[in-house]
Amino acid sequence: MSVDKVLLEVLANRFTGIVEEMGYVIHRAAFTTFVKETWDFDSALVTTEGEVFAYPRSIGVTNMLSMSMAAAIEAFDGYEPGDVVLTNDPLTAKGMSTHLPDYMMFRPIFAGEKLVCFAWCFVHSSDVGGIVPGSIAPHASDRFQEGVVIPPVKLFKAGRLDEEAKRFILANCRIPEQNWGDICALTAALATAQRRLGDCVGQYGVPAVEGMINGLLDYGEARARAVIAALPDGRYEFSDYMEGDLLRTHNVRIKLALTIAGSDIELDFTGTDPQVNAAFNLPTHGMLNQFLVLGVVNFLRTSDPGMPFNRGMVRPVRVKVPEGSILNPTKYAATGIRYTTALRVSDVVMGALSQAAPDRIPAAGSGQFGLLTLSDLDPHTGGYVVHVLQPLQGGSGGRPGRDGIDGVNFSGGALRNAPVEALELDSPIFVTGYRLNDAVAPGRWRGGSGILFEFQLLSPHAQVSSRGWDRFHLRAWGRDGGEAGPLGRTWIIEPDGSTRRIPKIEVLRLAPGQAVRIVSPGGGGFGNPWQRDPEAVLEDVEDGFVSAEEARTAYGVVLREEGGVNAEMTRALRSGRPQNDNEPAAFFVFGPEREAYEARNPPFFQDLVVEALGGQPTSSRTILRDRIYTELVDRGSHGGMTLKGVLDLIAGAQDEVSKPVVRWAPPDRFV
Amino acid sequence: MPPHLRVGVDIGGTFTDFALLDETTGRVTALKIPSDRARPAASVFAGLREFLDGSGARAEDIAYFSHGTTLAVNTILEYNGARTALLVTNGLRDILHIGRHRLPDIFNFFTDMPRPLVRRAHVVEIAERCLADGTVAATVTRAMIEDAVVRLREIGAEAVAVGFLHSYRNPANERATKRLLEELAPDLYVSLSSEVWPQMREFERTLAGVMNAYVGRRMERYFGDLEAGLRDEFRLAAPVLSTKSNGGVMTAAEAARRPTETLMSGPAAGAMGAAFLGRAAGFDRLITLDIGGTSTDVSVIDGEPRYSTDNHVGNFPVIMPAVDVTSIGAGGGSIAWADSFGVIKVGPQSAGARPGPACYGLGGERPTLTDAFVCLGIVDAGEIAGGRVRIDRALADRAIDGLAAKAGMGREETAEAVIRIATSHIYATLVPLLARKGVDYSEYTLLPFGGAGPMHGLLVAREVGIRRVIVPPQPGVLCAMGALVADVRRDFVRTFHESFEKGHGGGLAARMDAAAADLRREGAGWLDSQGLAYIARRFRPSADLRYEGQSFEIEVSLDDVPLDAGDGPLISAFEREYEKLYGYAGVGGRIEVRELRMAAVGETAKPRLERRDNAPEMAPLAVRTKQIFHDGAWRDAAFLDRDDLPSGVEVRGPAVIRQYDTTTFVPSGYVVAVDVHGNLIGEALR
Repeated sequence: MSVDKVLLEVLANRFTGIVEEMGYVIHRAAFTTFVKETWDFDSALVTTEGEVFAYPRSIGVTNMLSMSMAAAIEAFDGYEPGDVVLTNDPLTAKGMSTHLPDYMMFRPIFAGEKLVCFAWCFVHSSDVGGIVPGSIAPHASDRFQEGVVIPPVKLFKAGRLDEEAKRFILANCRIPEQNWGDICALTAALATAQRRLGDCVGQYGVPAVEGMINGLLDYGEARARAVIAALPDGRYEFSDYMEGDLLRTHNVRIKLALTIAGSDIELDFTGTDPQVNAAFNLPTHGMLNQFLVLGVVNFLRTSDPGMPFNRGMVRPVRVKVPEGSILNPTKYAATGIRYTTALRVSDVVMGALSQAAPDRIPAAGSGQFGLLTLSDLDPHTGGYVVHVLQPLQGGSGGRPGRDGIDGVNFSGGALRNAPVEALELDSPIFVTGYRLNDAVAPGRWRGGSGILFEFQLLSPHAQVSSRGWDRFHLRAWGRDGGEAGPLGRTWIIEPDGSTRRIPKIEVLRLAPGQAVRIVSPGGGGFGNPWQRDPEAVLEDVEDGFVSAEEARTAYGVVLREEGGVNAEMTRALRSGRPQNDNEPAAFFVFGPEREAYEARNPPFFQDLVVEALGGQPTSSRTILRDRIYTELVDRGSHGGMTLKGVLDLIAGAQDEVSKPVVRWAPPDRFV
Repeated sequence: MPPHLRVGVDIGGTFTDFALLDETTGRVTALKIPSDRARPAASVFAGLREFLDGSGARAEDIAYFSHGTTLAVNTILEYNGARTALLVTNGLRDILHIGRHRLPDIFNFFTDMPRPLVRRAHVVEIAERCLADGTVAATVTRAMIEDAVVRLREIGAEAVAVGFLHSYRNPANERATKRLLEELAPDLYVSLSSEVWPQMREFERTLAGVMNAYVGRRMERYFGDLEAGLRDEFRLAAPVLSTKSNGGVMTAAEAARRPTETLMSGPAAGAMGAAFLGRAAGFDRLITLDIGGTSTDVSVIDGEPRYSTDNHVGNFPVIMPAVDVTSIGAGGGSIAWADSFGVIKVGPQSAGARPGPACYGLGGERPTLTDAFVCLGIVDAGEIAGGRVRIDRALADRAIDGLAAKAGMGREETAEAVIRIATSHIYATLVPLLARKGVDYSEYTLLPFGGAGPMHGLLVAREVGIRRVIVPPQPGVLCAMGALVADVRRDFVRTFHESFEKGHGGGLAARMDAAAADLRREGAGWLDSQGLAYIARRFRPSADLRYEGQSFEIEVSLDDVPLDAGDGPLISAFEREYEKLYGYAGVGGRIEVRELRMAAVGETAKPRLERRDNAPEMAPLAVRTKQIFHDGAWRDAAFLDRDDLPSGVEVRGPAVIRQYDTTTFVPSGYVVAVDVHGNLIGEALR
């Protein structure tokens, strides 16, 4: 690097200060619940080419580092000082916007006449119109059901508010005052950026600041390349599933071939299943999208915590994303809950990367978070009031040298829960349990436990809705002989104490005295549990995560009745285990459910289906895929299936599919 | 002469600081004694002995004795408190383990939640239950606690905390549990969450109870030792006071009962001292910057310090009101290093108190921020803190040279780069922090203190764009100074869950008024129980209000809100505060009261500070000119001794002003004047 390295570090800190100050301005002034509780907002400084060169570390949603603002910038021929742009459009602002609730705003930063860079920020609004209050409708089948699209519009032209645009936008949402409050907060944050960058330019001059902006991106890239170059070259494949029940289709597979060549990484998602008729599509437009590379960014950050935080980090990454897949859907596909998909993509990237860096990446965590909301009639107004209950994440995976984290996973690591006392005070709910699940995935480093949440409803009008559940049928995978994680589960508990399992909650009412118990999934274990330190096993037994029986069968640890480890018997038991040292441990442990699913629908067959569907119009792929899987499950066999066989099936199904009747199947059909 | 001395003590990790004020002259003397980590009271005795011997004063002359200790906070951070068990409501076993979620660093796969102070195996569930409205649905029975005691004995518990759901509303079950425990297991130290801080939020309240139990016995012993020693060996007659996180003081006996209230007392006392000195000098709005060897702390003062209920000890949240002090970095001991690309970084690692900066010669070899100042000639070689630390410039040079080789720069360029980068770090944390607090810093004065604050403070002001700086007379012992000027204070809280609409309050304000009267009585009783003399008593009510459905509350002062005049004034006070905070009037709708708060304050007499008016004929200043490396070149800088500086004198940067407990560096672009109290007032040159 030929730049002034001292000034580079000084300005890196200055820029970080500016984006974090923007974040706090938003947090302070914004209105939406998402902003206050879940920090679903963000800020950044962006080059004139659309690359993020400064990104906050301590505030905000933390996953937008790799976005590209290039398309959004190109929406206008030029900019004047004082312009402020607003958009939420995943189509024209592709690479930046991915679903409608995110109001994104940016403004050009000028030094005199000279455009130096852009400042950018967003908040997740609580409502932008659409088919349901809150705008996130899992079953939305196209974008227009998810709210009103705002293509990039200059809300302020040279500092002057466009009243017409404002009126139009606010007329199309359910909470216009709050949204205007949020827009004002974002505008204030952008003004802060202009002021502070003005100071910076005044102090150091335009050429120095511009030089350092580019220098920082180069520096970020160089440090990322240093990490990647140290990994062994190769092609690493991995796939994982999103469970089909909430997607109203058969399990959706995300498939990846990750290639490392020198200091470059390619992510090739060929073989990933088609887009779905629900709000889980991730609109990448085939470009490097921030939600495709979350796993890469986290890996780079973990490997080199001092790496400057900017989009230079992902310059070494190229992506290939098949058109019409859930990761690159057609232009009007519904995308409201694309984050659930992004979490699974992240797990897939980690699975592939862990083959290149086996000692630096944890086993899979729960990779989900279930959001529960309770709606009730307000006795004062007769209207509905909505309360947000606990977000239930689940445990993280066991890590090389460290157990998984109980109850929390990296996917929702920035979320806060609510006090039980506040829930009982504010909403008609009686909580009978909120604690860690007692089951954990065995491993030399065990998986983190899930969370148990159990409650009754105290109002006849109360109704619980939820979304986001996953790994209730297919476990979080273990690594290096560590077991796969415990599944999520839901039960109804009757007043007499009897229990019965129910599917994932979408909408639920309870009779008086009935309770519901939800257990979120746990993370997978890491390493052979028979090599776990017996004292750690003892501690887990004392703490109630492992039974004495399980200590013996899963870990090979014998405990004394009076307490403590029986060292002799443990040694004898462990050395007597035949496969202990001879056989290498399985690199991935997926658990019986995925093995059974893949026995019914082997990966080669899934590949054939994806390939065969490639020739079909995108609009019918989902339905055709569904038909093919159902057909084979009904037949109970796919033996010797060939591409031709699949094509024949498609031809057979064509007729039926072309009839314009599409019905939602009940969710349990896909369990 | 009647008792006329005030003694303030602050026990820190490295030094125990003393500020000794003679009320007859208003003069303050500073003293630093190495801390005795094993027996903290011993360093108090040693310092007091040294002061009395040196000044010829007697312990009987001491009218006021107040001190702060980090013993409780260190016990928690170092996890070496009592073996503590926890009793919780059935179903809430993992209250401490789940906490409020949110990982400390979500970008790092190897991050962890803070390890709880109580193991999961040591949490005992009790089949009791209180409802949100305070109704007891399941009473605590003797049999339940008998069973629990069997478990506590198996566990080998020394202390036990009790955190039951909704005990802030109705503490009956917690109190019954305590009575039974005192009868069945009288040897256990028992803390109830409802006694320590009865606020809604089971995790934070229970944690407060757990912390109290965890440090309780040790603090009892410590305060016992201290009082006994001061009474028996020194014949001290004045009451022994302890500083508190809320900036007030309480008796040592009370501190032994409620040690969690001392957790953030050190930084709080610093802010109190800064506010007092700032006020005396005519500056009401201050940003304090306390840079020590291992940490950099910031607080904002608007006449008085701001308070926060969102505080932390390590990664543990503390919701009891405390003076709002935020740690933003590692301080003078921050280690400078270069990455593989030759880019210099400063921190987050610190050389700490041991070995400390390389120039201390205590075995540290890696260059620190302090070494950079030494290397540039800004901090002189020789002795500081009365000879208790010796600075060796050759050692600083050698440490910086190692870094210079990696960065490919000269020695002085490297040292200055370290300082510039450290300064930009402070910018990167300070400016967002001020935004979070809603502070427009163009209206504020920076008050740097602590051992390294005055050395770095004006450079920070120059970088951030703060025009005015005030360096108090004894910046190294400001926390001890704060202990001298604090009021007796305790905060009370009552969770109050009612909502009302404009014009339909139905007398909510009147009900709040009645509850406030209860809290006021409780506060008055507490002030009486301290047995101290007050020149005035103040009761300051406030309430946490919000619009129903919003997830954040706003604290509204009720000082000037007549609650007996209907709901109108309460609503307007809330709306005014809302607009002030968010820049636009609220959305309207129902307003909810969450908490009612009361600060009971027993005001104590404040000392008057010494005034040094302009000497009519100023003797020529003893100025020595030496070369320092500053802003990229060797330059002449004036070196002065602070004790020699008469009021009214002006010094233009670059200049270095030395004193017993610190060094003040005036960079070019600033001019410093001495005011009548001996403060250095720095102003940016236009």
